[in-house]
Amino acid sequence: MATPDELAEAYADWRRRSNENQRLKKMVRGWDRVIHFVPSDGVEAFTMEVRDQELGELRFGRVGTPDVVVTGSSEDFCDMFWGDLNPSEKYMSGEITLAGSQADVMRIDAISMVAFLDQ
Amino acid sequence: MSADPTAGASGGAALRRALGLRTTVSTSAGLAFAALEYLAAAGLVGYVAGDSAWIAIGVAGLLALLAWGFFGELNGMFPTAAAIRLYMKRSMDDRVALIITFTYMTTIVLVIAADAFIVGTALAHAFGESGWVSALWIAGLLVLAVLSNLRGVSVAGWVQDLATYGVLAATVVVASAALLRSHHPLRFPLQPLHGHGLGSLVEAVALGVFLFSAFEWVTTSAEEVRRPEHVHRGMLVAVGLLFVVCSLATVAMSHVLDHHQLTSAYPQLLLGRAAFGRAGLWAMAGVTAVTALNTFNGGFITASRFVYGTAREGSLPRQLATLNDRAVPWVPVCALGVLALALALVVSLTHSWQLLVAVGAALEAMIYAVAAFCTLRLRRRSPEHPRPFRVRLAPVLSVVGIAVFGALAVVASVSVANRTDPVPLVVIAAAAAASSLYVLVVLPRVRAAEAARRAATPRRRPGRAVPAPGDGA
Repeated sequence: MATPDELAEAYADWRRRSNENQRLKKMVRGWDRVIHFVPSDGVEAFTMEVRDQELGELRFGRVGTPDVVVTGSSEDFCDMFWGDLNPSEKYMSGEITLAGSQADVMRIDAISMVAFLDQ
Repeated sequence: MSADPTAGASGGAALRRALGLRTTVSTSAGLAFAALEYLAAAGLVGYVAGDSAWIAIGVAGLLALLAWGFFGELNGMFPTAAAIRLYMKRSMDDRVALIITFTYMTTIVLVIAADAFIVGTALAHAFGESGWVSALWIAGLLVLAVLSNLRGVSVAGWVQDLATYGVLAATVVVASAALLRSHHPLRFPLQPLHGHGLGSLVEAVALGVFLFSAFEWVTTSAEEVRRPEHVHRGMLVAVGLLFVVCSLATVAMSHVLDHHQLTSAYPQLLLGRAAFGRAGLWAMAGVTAVTALNTFNGGFITASRFVYGTAREGSLPRQLATLNDRAVPWVPVCALGVLALALALVVSLTHSWQLLVAVGAALEAMIYAVAAFCTLRLRRRSPEHPRPFRVRLAPVLSVVGIAVFGALAVVASVSVANRTDPVPLVVIAAAAAASSLYVLVVLPRVRAAEAARRAATPRRRPGRAVPAPGDGA
């Protein structure tokens, strides 16, 4: 189980990497969304907001009405933010579940893919 | 993995945008009610006597309800767009699951191609243009569909509601008017076997199953619904709507159209003309064009996102997961457009749309049999898995489903337009062979290359051991 500090550190790296990626900024143009991450292992949920083509700071707790809710283990979230885990693989195996429109789900996966693979 | 499976994937949180029951019904019915529906309905008339085709559709509807039960249970267990991968992977060898899934994906290409052909032909006929102009319509429609998909355009829920319910209502009005204005009593409405054998009725039922096909594609919206039960309830209502509309359209067509008109590529336009003259023909041309909205929108999104997900998972080459600046997997979208265009033009030249209907019917029956098998297998393998919706008498009904849908798949695959013809079987066998070749020969190399790439990529997370292969890294 990842600690809140580990999650915060991992997210900060993901955020920096994403916000510095010009292609990714194009991809999230006009895509202002609130995303709740809900760890299934008891770690406190946290909120990520995308606004004006930038990923906002991580906030612990479920803040605002979500467009997408992502459920998975805190370890998987941590690995995903570090770019060590392919979230699609976990999604296709049912270990990460999502609620939200398919287009929004695609964008979240796009962030993790482009930020690390630039594909 | 959500804590409370009955609360859905959102874990009970209310999403800002979520689909209600009305849109779930319209999605399910809209995906099934493609333009090809009219041709399949007209084709079904040839198998049974007089105006009794509705009986075959009724039997097919009951079978669709059986399939609804299986998909309802499986979707409840895996409320995700990736459900088909999940329940098949857990029910059988992953390679077999992939071969079946890739073969089944052929249906989406077929339906998109068929709809492009039908809409193009219908518009060319309505405008009084010669046959070859329909090829231009087909190409134009598919290019438009590809471009709008590449730009990330998707149909909003309310537009989909308007389109689907409009198409269904217009079809009911036109069919009813055509029947009422014929001023002739129905011929043999309760005697499907009059002048036909039992085998013809079975073939009619197999074709009838195709009229309901794709109603289950709405399960890929499981992550978007306001309440999880909306998916299985929506499918149920959609099956009922499809039975009413298809039965009425079929009876009306059998009653007012002659054999030549029934076997044309635009029987729905001729039905419209029988009901309201030239205005009716134009109305049905418009309705036919609107059906393409759902098919192109749903078909392109479902197929391209599935290919993207499978490529991201490592089961297809990585290039298929390449995104454009609008986060759209452009390679699968373009490939789907090119394949559908090539197929639609071949159909346009050969007028072999009935072959597409037969292939689609056989593949759809096959996937229903697979759903029955998965339901049965998972009851044994994962009895403790939460099931918000359970099929009653599942062990018995699953076996019935496997036998009946398996038999219908065989019947549909060797019959085209009321005559024995093995070509659909050959097409399906070729698709299955290509899928098998990829899964058994190419995929191991794709996975090995991906594993090598990952092994060469240093782990970024500080203070943790390198994960074992298969950990998703």
